[in-house]
Amino acid sequence: MPPKDYQNEREKCKRFLQEFYAPNDLGKKQFKYADQLVLIAHREQVALHIDLDDVAEEDPELVDSICENTRRYVSLFADAVQELLPEYKEREMVNKDALDVYIEHRLMMEQRNRDPNELRDPRNQYPPELLRRFEVYFKSPATMKPKVVRDVKADSIGKLVTVRGIVTRVTEVKPMMVVATYTCDQCGAETYQPIQSPTFMPLIMCPSRECQTNKSGGRLYLQSRGSKFIKFQEIKLQEHSDQVPIGNIPRSMSVFAQGENTRLAHPGDHVSITGIFLPMMKAGFRQVVQGLLAETYLEAHRVSQMNKSEDDELGSQELNEEELRQITEEDFYEKLAASIAPEIYGHEDVKKALLLLLVGGVDQSPKGMKIRGNINICLMGDPGVAKSQLLCYIDRLAPRSQYTTGRGSSGVGLTAAVMKDSVTGEMTLEGGALVLADQGVCCIDEFDKMMDSDRTAIHEVMEQQTISIAKAGIMTTLNARCSILSAANPAFGRYNPKKTVEQNIQLPAALLSRFDLLWLIQDKPDRDNDLRLAQHITYVHQHCKQPPSQFQPLEMKLMRRYIALCKQKQPMVPESLADYITAAYVEMRKESRNSKDTTFTSARTLLSILRIATALARLRLVDTVEKEDVNEAMRLMEMSKDSLVGDRGQGTRAQRPADIIFVTVREMMSDRTGRSVKYSEAEQRCVTKGFTPAQFEEALEEYEELNVWQVNQARSKITFV
Amino acid sequence: MPSLGDWVNNPLSIVQGVFAQNGPNGEWERKVVEYFTEKLKENTATSWVPSLNDVPLHYLKPNSLVKFRCMLQDMFDPEFYMGVYETVDPATKSGVLRFGKYKDVAECGTQQEIHLNSAKSVTMERQTFYCIPVPGESSWVKEAYASACPARGNPSTSYTPSRHKRSYEEDEDMEMHPPKQKEQHRGSSGCSGSHGCGDSKRLETEAPDAHQLSPNCTASIDLNFPLPGEKGPACLVKVYENWDRFKVNDILEVYGILSVDPALGIINDESTKDGSSILDPAECMDTLEEQRVHSPPPSLVPRLHAIVTHKLQHINPFLPIRLQDKQSKDYISSFLPELSSVRAELLGFLTNALLGDSLAAEYLTLHFLSTIYSRRDVLPLGKFTLNLSGCPKNSNYTKHLHRFIQQLVPSSYCLPMTLENMNTMRFIPQKDYTANRLLAGVLQLPHSTSLMLDETAMEPGQLDTTGFQNMAALGNLIIWQKVDYDFSYHQMEFPCNINVLITSEDVSLLQSDCEVHLRPQVVPDNIEEYMTNLQTAVLPSILNKFRIYLSLLRLMDYSISEEVTKAVEEDFVEMRKNDPQSITAVDLHWLLVVARLVSLSAGQTTLSRDSWQQAKQLEGQRKARLGRLTPLNGNEP
Repeated sequence: MPPKDYQNEREKCKRFLQEFYAPNDLGKKQFKYADQLVLIAHREQVALHIDLDDVAEEDPELVDSICENTRRYVSLFADAVQELLPEYKEREMVNKDALDVYIEHRLMMEQRNRDPNELRDPRNQYPPELLRRFEVYFKSPATMKPKVVRDVKADSIGKLVTVRGIVTRVTEVKPMMVVATYTCDQCGAETYQPIQSPTFMPLIMCPSRECQTNKSGGRLYLQSRGSKFIKFQEIKLQEHSDQVPIGNIPRSMSVFAQGENTRLAHPGDHVSITGIFLPMMKAGFRQVVQGLLAETYLEAHRVSQMNKSEDDELGSQELNEEELRQITEEDFYEKLAASIAPEIYGHEDVKKALLLLLVGGVDQSPKGMKIRGNINICLMGDPGVAKSQLLCYIDRLAPRSQYTTGRGSSGVGLTAAVMKDSVTGEMTLEGGALVLADQGVCCIDEFDKMMDSDRTAIHEVMEQQTISIAKAGIMTTLNARCSILSAANPAFGRYNPKKTVEQNIQLPAALLSRFDLLWLIQDKPDRDNDLRLAQHITYVHQHCKQPPSQFQPLEMKLMRRYIALCKQKQPMVPESLADYITAAYVEMRKESRNSKDTTFTSARTLLSILRIATALARLRLVDTVEKEDVNEAMRLMEMSKDSLVGDRGQGTRAQRPADIIFVTVREMMSDRTGRSVKYSEAEQRCVTKGFTPAQFEEALEEYEELNVWQVNQARSKITFV
Repeated sequence: MPSLGDWVNNPLSIVQGVFAQNGPNGEWERKVVEYFTEKLKENTATSWVPSLNDVPLHYLKPNSLVKFRCMLQDMFDPEFYMGVYETVDPATKSGVLRFGKYKDVAECGTQQEIHLNSAKSVTMERQTFYCIPVPGESSWVKEAYASACPARGNPSTSYTPSRHKRSYEEDEDMEMHPPKQKEQHRGSSGCSGSHGCGDSKRLETEAPDAHQLSPNCTASIDLNFPLPGEKGPACLVKVYENWDRFKVNDILEVYGILSVDPALGIINDESTKDGSSILDPAECMDTLEEQRVHSPPPSLVPRLHAIVTHKLQHINPFLPIRLQDKQSKDYISSFLPELSSVRAELLGFLTNALLGDSLAAEYLTLHFLSTIYSRRDVLPLGKFTLNLSGCPKNSNYTKHLHRFIQQLVPSSYCLPMTLENMNTMRFIPQKDYTANRLLAGVLQLPHSTSLMLDETAMEPGQLDTTGFQNMAALGNLIIWQKVDYDFSYHQMEFPCNINVLITSEDVSLLQSDCEVHLRPQVVPDNIEEYMTNLQTAVLPSILNKFRIYLSLLRLMDYSISEEVTKAVEEDFVEMRKNDPQSITAVDLHWLLVVARLVSLSAGQTTLSRDSWQQAKQLEGQRKARLGRLTPLNGNEP
């Protein structure tokens, strides 16, 4: 490859700066960089960010050379800007600081005193860096993929790279000398020394012709007033935890930020930094010692904070066609649910509920009142039914979560503690698990073993989603918008179906009603089930993976991203469904009055149904709640209730679903006069009771054969014979 | 000492030879590694390489080949170095190409300069690992390795016995004086320059230096061992190839070139002296702490340039290093006939140690054999946390029991769960961003370490925040076999494989997979005497058999045949039918683990019906002894 003609390249840069334009809103040409040059000429702007996407429009080849040899092009662009600036200067401007005045004086002096024919020692000339009061930075093209710290290797040296990570350490901002100015004590001449490395050897002898010829041995003295300094800061960047292979320690990288790029990052920030990856040779004695080593750093060109939302967006963008197709297959709801804790066998409905908990309902705030959208679930059950494992899995799956045990955390550990700073003696608030899980999930194991006083702290969180503190003179309300997933053991070791829920887990009704869903995971012997369970477990031990099932479980990462995508939707309950929901609610109230229900059916139940329904709509990535969502929500409620009373039916006579459906439909009949019932109404009623439409269909046919009722041709009416 | 080839005494000359032969591009690196791998394969060749573990640093020749058995404690950022560089003689302008691999300091002839901007120099990358001796390594392991390896830098008669003796003292005041120990160690490595070896001059000049700095140094140089009271050389291992294979907490065996050039340490001194220099960004970039940690004086932390590195599956000196070889297969099959007798003897031995309780002995054996053989999502398969309840308090019984365990397993640690320990010790490793290193915690242990938690040492009192976090960390370790390392901005999960044994008076505070209540058959008046007698009574050769038995069997493969699987499934359904409360899914998981270990302990690599029945029987006996129907915590996963 022939050596590049940099003169030519500089002309290219110049042309680009002058000529690049983009149409603005009014359709007029807007000279993006020329406008900025005007600002720079008037010292109203310091940093000139050159977007390489813009350069790519004009000259794609130039972009490649910029990315390959960035340092060189920074100076080329800087030279170009320097040359252009006088053209853009529209008015005289006041001097802003001492260096401005200094430069002005020098320039004036030069014009006055200088003999144009005299050739001056280049070192006594003004170096361009001294006069330059702007900074040139590149913004990487959009096509360039951000790199992981561990992938930035020796082959990236000298190139423009973008890395992402978390800032672990920043130094103070210090001035760094760019040009050292000296004056001679003999002849008074000024000498300049541009500095590019972190250390430099100061000049001692005056190089001016006067001193040289006279051999006066003029000494140079550093003039800090006349030297140019820029802000300098060092940042330590560490890779994100998810970029680290298992069992490795996260890598870190030094980043040097200069000028306008300083003070942009703080420890703990997630940032993306574009810069030039450069080696740093040690100078002086260090070099001899470490002779063989080269340290590297990234010279920052652009430091941008990545906030949480940007992160999420990136996640969803990466959800490509293939993955979406994988998720949104026919039975995606079952599939997603089955992907939760695939190594735990069965419990499909519980897993569905947990999936909805992760997605969450929509927060409502009509007229200042806040109604939570988060779904709270309590898992009860006999020991050894993998409750803790489910909790642990959710803890890992949820992007933000806290795991704690009821026994292990006091009220303070859950809510917030007022701490006294040992040094200053100030009171400070320290968040507990519930506060830390804000916008996430708080998993509380062994809920029943919590002290009563601690439990009361949760009441507020579960409904108002805040925590009020009035301790040690600090009165405040903290947000705790979290879903609570708790696991509890029955009070007497095993669940006693003859007792009420409250008695069984010894939790007050006030607390229980705050859970949208209560599941009792019971350990019931059943031959088929047991066999399948045994097969599942032995398979896991035999082959170290769970057996092939109907669904290939989705990966955790994919799940996480899909859930994040779901959370962006804010589905509404349409007007048309209101009646349906109210009717269903009234029905449930009535039922609970009639039967000796162990649970409460209160207004909270209605809210729960709405929450679950909106969560379901979110899961389908739609904007309105549909009837099926409400039906499924009610089915889940019904199933959760059934799980609580489950054993009772078994003792007497197991009623077949068809029989119950028959009874239900007959009841509907007795409510009204006449001998027929609308098909759709009957179906809905049955579905709300936890039957599937298929079961309903079966029952219809069965009783039709027995000649109990008839269904008309259009299948819209059921008439009793 | 027989004369050794250059490849041990002066490996760099060999590298130079290969380099000169093949020229600077490509080939030579691979050839160097091949050469040394071949050399090490030769009979007993490995034993001629002195080991950094047994030979004190000052006996070893700098730039010679040494080996080091260690745990990877921390990974530093990769370094770029000049793999090939050119030195130029300013007088003649003639350049010489040299290699920088396996070296810390650039070599330069007297009249030469390094040509920094030479087009011929090649920048390469290497990775630095901070390695420490295997934590909790039993003294018998160390001794066996030391005696198997006659190579010493400079044979010394006084060396081995004194070490032996100290290792016993150490046990006693292990918990009491960790700082003092460290100082002793430092002293011993610092002022031993008088031994007449080749580089004594260096040490002599170094030693006073180290003492002058000592007020500064003692505070700053902490070798970062996870367990208190540990000693031994820490080492910065520079790895040149395939460093992605290695993970934190892996046990490695490194063959490499020792580098103790004092120049490396001078950086350190210098930076302390002129730390106040104002305009030196190079100074402000790395904090003093970081420099101290990343370039400690080589007299304390030598550098090792690894040529051949491999992961170790185990550290038992009586077993072949790799169990897959043909040779090792023969070895295993030769051991198998003895197996049942060894097992019986071991059971007897443990029964005595457990005061005559044979069931507990059976379970303890299974516990020693257990290992996490697989992970399924969050679920570790094969964990076997044993809670030995009913241990006598106030008699130091647990301490003696630990000494017993130390005799059997290659690495172990006993953690008395006193309130003070819980509240003050660092359990979870933590990233220190000022020094840019991972501060080791007690739970940073390599795979197959036996961790004994002594709950009998606990007394009522207040746990503070640290104490609570430590408890939670122990809980996580026991249930999920993972430790969440603290990176202050986030946590990172590191899976581990540690055998946890809890000794407690009554049911343990911590969850466990199974509880065995100790039922002593003999009550000796003087436990100490009783236990010591037991230990001395057993023949060393028998003891070695025990050790082989335990280490070998836990590494064996295991499978379950389809047929037995069917039987197990049937059995489970049957048991559920008779009494649904008797067995749950979790119990089945557990039974399969017990059955696995029962089979393995008999040397069978597949599950048989007999072993399955035996496992069931054992469980039955254990449960009967507990006398409780319901599980203890009521909330096992």
